[in-house]
Amino acid sequence: MASYIARRLLAVLGVLWAMTLLIFGIVHLLPGNVAYMILGEYATAEAVATLEARLGLNDPLWLQYWRWFSGLLGGDFGRSLVMDRPAGPLIADALAHSAILAGISIVLVAIIGIALGIHSAVHKGTLSDRVLTLAQYFFIAVPEFFWCILLILLFAAWLGWLPATGYTPIGEGGVLRWATHLILPVFTLVSGLIAHVSRLTRSSMIETLESGYVLAARARGVPEGRVLRRHALPNALLPTVTVLAVDVGILIGGIVVVETVFAYPGLGRLLIFAIENHDLPLLMAGMMVVTTVYAVANLVADILYAFLNPRIRYGRAAA
Amino acid sequence: MADPGQAGKGPLLDLRGLSVSYATGRGQLAALQAISLAIPRGGAMGLVGESGSGKSSVVLAILGLLGEGATVAADAARFDGEDLFANAASLRGRRIGVVFQDPSAALNPALTIGSQIAEPLVLHKGMSQSEADARTIALLAEVGLPRAETVARAYPHQLSGGMKQRAVIAGALACEPDLLLLDEPTTALDVTVEAQILDLLEGLRARRGLSLLLVSHNLGIVDRLCDDLTVLYAGRVVEQGAATTLLDIPAHPYTRGLMGALPRADKGRIGRLVPIPGGLPDLTKPDPGCNFRTRCAFVEPPCSAPQALVSPPGEEATGRLARCRRAGEELAWPVPPLPERTVRGEGETLLEANALSRSFALGGWLGRVSFAGGRPHLAPQAVVRAVDGVSLVVRKGEVLGLVGESGCGKTTLGRLVLRLIESDGGTLRFAGETVPQRPGAGFRRRAQIVFQNPDSSLNPRKTVAEIIRRPVTLFGIARGAAADEEVDRLLTLVRLSPAYRGRYPHQLSGGEKQRIGIARALASQPDFLVCDEAVSALDVSVQAAVLNLLDDLRDRLGVAYLFISHDIGVIAHVADRIAVMYRGGVVEEGPAAAILSPPYHPYTEALLSAVPLVGARGRAASRIRLAGDVSSPSGAGGCRFAHRCPRRIGPVCDEVAPPVIEPVPGHRIACHLPPETLAAMPPALGAA
Amino acid sequence: MSSIAAPGERGRSRALPSSLVWGGIVVGAIALLAIIGPWIAPYDPDAFSVRVRLQPPSAAHWFGTDEFGRDVFSRVLAGAHYSLGMGFGATALSLVLGIPLGLIAAFDRGWLSEAIMRAVDVLISVPPILLGLLVLAVTEPALWKTIVAVGLVYVPIMTRIVRAVGLGLLAEDFVQAARARGESAAWILAAEILPNAWPPIIVETALRITFAILLGSALSFLGLGAQPPASEWGLMIAESRPFIEQAPWIGLAPGLCLCVLLIAINLLGEGLRELLDPRLRGRG
Repeated sequence: MASYIARRLLAVLGVLWAMTLLIFGIVHLLPGNVAYMILGEYATAEAVATLEARLGLNDPLWLQYWRWFSGLLGGDFGRSLVMDRPAGPLIADALAHSAILAGISIVLVAIIGIALGIHSAVHKGTLSDRVLTLAQYFFIAVPEFFWCILLILLFAAWLGWLPATGYTPIGEGGVLRWATHLILPVFTLVSGLIAHVSRLTRSSMIETLESGYVLAARARGVPEGRVLRRHALPNALLPTVTVLAVDVGILIGGIVVVETVFAYPGLGRLLIFAIENHDLPLLMAGMMVVTTVYAVANLVADILYAFLNPRIRYGRAAA
Repeated sequence: MADPGQAGKGPLLDLRGLSVSYATGRGQLAALQAISLAIPRGGAMGLVGESGSGKSSVVLAILGLLGEGATVAADAARFDGEDLFANAASLRGRRIGVVFQDPSAALNPALTIGSQIAEPLVLHKGMSQSEADARTIALLAEVGLPRAETVARAYPHQLSGGMKQRAVIAGALACEPDLLLLDEPTTALDVTVEAQILDLLEGLRARRGLSLLLVSHNLGIVDRLCDDLTVLYAGRVVEQGAATTLLDIPAHPYTRGLMGALPRADKGRIGRLVPIPGGLPDLTKPDPGCNFRTRCAFVEPPCSAPQALVSPPGEEATGRLARCRRAGEELAWPVPPLPERTVRGEGETLLEANALSRSFALGGWLGRVSFAGGRPHLAPQAVVRAVDGVSLVVRKGEVLGLVGESGCGKTTLGRLVLRLIESDGGTLRFAGETVPQRPGAGFRRRAQIVFQNPDSSLNPRKTVAEIIRRPVTLFGIARGAAADEEVDRLLTLVRLSPAYRGRYPHQLSGGEKQRIGIARALASQPDFLVCDEAVSALDVSVQAAVLNLLDDLRDRLGVAYLFISHDIGVIAHVADRIAVMYRGGVVEEGPAAAILSPPYHPYTEALLSAVPLVGARGRAASRIRLAGDVSSPSGAGGCRFAHRCPRRIGPVCDEVAPPVIEPVPGHRIACHLPPETLAAMPPALGAA
Repeated sequence: MSSIAAPGERGRSRALPSSLVWGGIVVGAIALLAIIGPWIAPYDPDAFSVRVRLQPPSAAHWFGTDEFGRDVFSRVLAGAHYSLGMGFGATALSLVLGIPLGLIAAFDRGWLSEAIMRAVDVLISVPPILLGLLVLAVTEPALWKTIVAVGLVYVPIMTRIVRAVGLGLLAEDFVQAARARGESAAWILAAEILPNAWPPIIVETALRITFAILLGSALSFLGLGAQPPASEWGLMIAESRPFIEQAPWIGLAPGLCLCVLLIAINLLGEGLRELLDPRLRGRG
């Protein structure tokens, strides 16, 4: 098990290093002058020269890459051009806000998605299963940005129950106001993912319930509730764990959209801000952080999977 | 047998008029049509049938676990005098235990062996967890598992197939049931492991007074364990009675056909087998008359009327029943005539493999990164020597049977001699010329292959004509209209009508697919065929027809075969010479008759004595049993069989490669035992 | 010879899955509208008309008008081809690159396959939207760039799927039989592998089209795809935000159309899976 985790960790580090090459490569190798891109096409020659000198754009590419990469290793994420502040603290602050959204969302997705999926599988073919299946079709298909519009229209514009946009720290407006700003973004983020997770859990649970060992457990006279909990569930959840990791990737996409629409001060909005203002150092640093978060989420899923699956947890050493 | 102290006086299990049907897209499928069977206390009933006979539905119906799409009806279903269906939920696990076919599927991969066995003890017997754990270990020891404590803590993936099936049996016995249902309990296992499990079941039955219902397609194992037999065909009981009389003189034409279709290790080559033509009837439209009559050689017009399950004339006293109006008559299935053999096996050498070897690496490079000892390093690449220095010769028109258990490397060897996978070492000669790793069209045309799995061997997107035509045109055998004629000729050769030309594989039965596979292999007019378990996926009645076909082709066309099989009966039937393989090497090789009688290699002896034979009940005394299974660890350098050998001499077996003994010219045995000892072995297949 | 077997009646005809039929009808209808849209649109989708700004739906303007007085129905009609183009264009690109790469990775046993799969591992470790954002961040936004970016995002996923399908087929006995005949790699690929690889690839493609439309319209919504005054649905929704209380129809109309299209493609994919997936198909 320790060896397995160490191997996965090694693979994650390899992927992250490859990502530094990819991000740096796309920014610096795509056609177009970086300084003009930042300053706009009507920039004066002096302005361009000043910026190029400041960013070290005249140095050889490998040296630029090394400067950036060694900085990352030492915790220096570069400087935001537009805000003229170190990118590190900016990103850390935004990341904390996004983590609240993402954390609440992924927990809700896991709990509700799995519960609904199991309910559907156990009551396969009944009315509630059919209703849920139909609802899944609908929720998977609605894009996040359209959800935002619908929810704002309904709860903010027409009913007036919840604020449409913005964010209030707990320290300023108390827990309740803080929470009201989270409800709509979280709902937007989780609706599609719950549908996705429950659909997958349903099919994996149905497959497990048709397996030989579930039949064998029933043949041993094990009561049905115990068959579900003890015999079917641990096996049925294995594919769900993998899908939850994939869904973190979709969640990140959703966060970019949701934070932009709801004007929520998270990392997604910071990335869009960096793109709109051509703040390349901030963008590169933000991208690296998001990729790392995603890689870590996948690592956690791999470890969880190994923990749930004795075939990985214990080797093949014969008894 | 019967215990007078028990509650009921009647049979333990009494099923009368049990019917099961499943809802399918084409209507109700009548899987079981009013079958009746009774098992006395302590009795053992064998339920025999081919795939589609409905035998597994019987087991699930008894357990009350048929599932939603199934409808069950019965005139009476009693267990120990009580209503079976009303009490099924409280009987299963307590008084009825069950062992399913595949132990890998029947054990939950996420739970330890011990917890799965202890579970019913806690649930049904009210034991505390520690009592249940102690009882579990005792049970595991009782079914012959060494180091029972370790096994109880292990997960299923850490045990071999034989150990898993023992654990499943221990679980089925946990609550001391009265009746044990065995659904093909050894079908997923190798023959030497199967023999261990059958011994175990036989011992348990004697020791505990268990009643058994053994469901199987294999007449040999049913004959070994059971007193009474029920033969199922397409959802109906066609014959019922005591095992000995039923198998000695079968009354129903179907049972007679089955017995004639069975290739038998103890009989060796018996000419042609009885092929039963056709296939299962459509169970969505059950025939009110005899449902076997479309395949029966003795059909008469009155057979279309419903047939009753009654005693044949003169056998009323024996309790024997058969569902055939001609059951009392002397009926012999026609056996196809033996054609003249064009080429004899003593001809010149066709294929010659010399010290062929092939190893496979396990896992990718990232899997080799190890942190054992605290520092990361690359562990040495784990390697399996699938084929390890094998030399063999196939002569023109000869059938070399290659027999061995799963994982012994026989399939790899078959692919190596066709150069479908490259060898690491050794040479291959064909028709006097060395075959390079990437052979040219000449070798490819002359050496072809027939596969095991009929579903995987034909491209599902091509018609029969396209499949067979390709080699005909590729090797320039014929073109245009002549090629079409050649396709028809090949179809006729494998006894299929040219009307099959436009069919797709999914429209064919298993036996038909296998014939198309043979026709494709023959299309290039080869003189050498590798038949890789070519009949293993087929039911006995279909297998007989395909074996006859292969026999005929060998005799009429003079094609030589390397015939690979795990089934010794099939090999004994088809082969001129036999090579026995164990862990990547050939341990014994020689003429078929010499291999099937002493002197043997100790592995051959164990293999042969493990074969469940029909009508050989007295054979028990001379059984040789192997401990463990192929995956048991062994030392390097010595005899590859030393770790399991019941005749092991001493360290010399582990350390020194065995010499080759040649009792008669052409019969080679690789063993340290002196030739006299080998020659003194008793015949493993019973008295010759 | 009397023992020759003649084929029995084993013919079968299966009804098409109803999800396939309904999904196909809706997608087909939207595609048709996208093609004939310019001829049946009641107004010029880009024509300003200050007198009819922010009008609610009426007989004259079925979906109302926007802040410039443009007819929303005409704009939605004109926008259909963006979504379809994005979905099909990006997926086509991922197929064109992913199929050869996946097949090479399945066939080759050496460094080339290793290199492809390691690159796939890296690219798959990036959340899809980030890869799209990264590519679009460093160039001026344009619709064709969005399509290319979305297509590239799905290349590694397609490569993985094609490789898995290819490896599965290579292990089939009928491929071994072809090798035993000495068939060339090209023939095996064309005649044995590809005809059997299509079903799973088609099913996956249907799924990818949905994702591509979602991702593409999300990028347009963020301002990184189609540019004003294009009537791309995601962009239309983004532009409607300031008027959401006054004139919700500007955003609702394209949003609902997008949902209908996505549900229909999902249904189509589900139907295709039912039709083509051997695991769901009864044999014989």
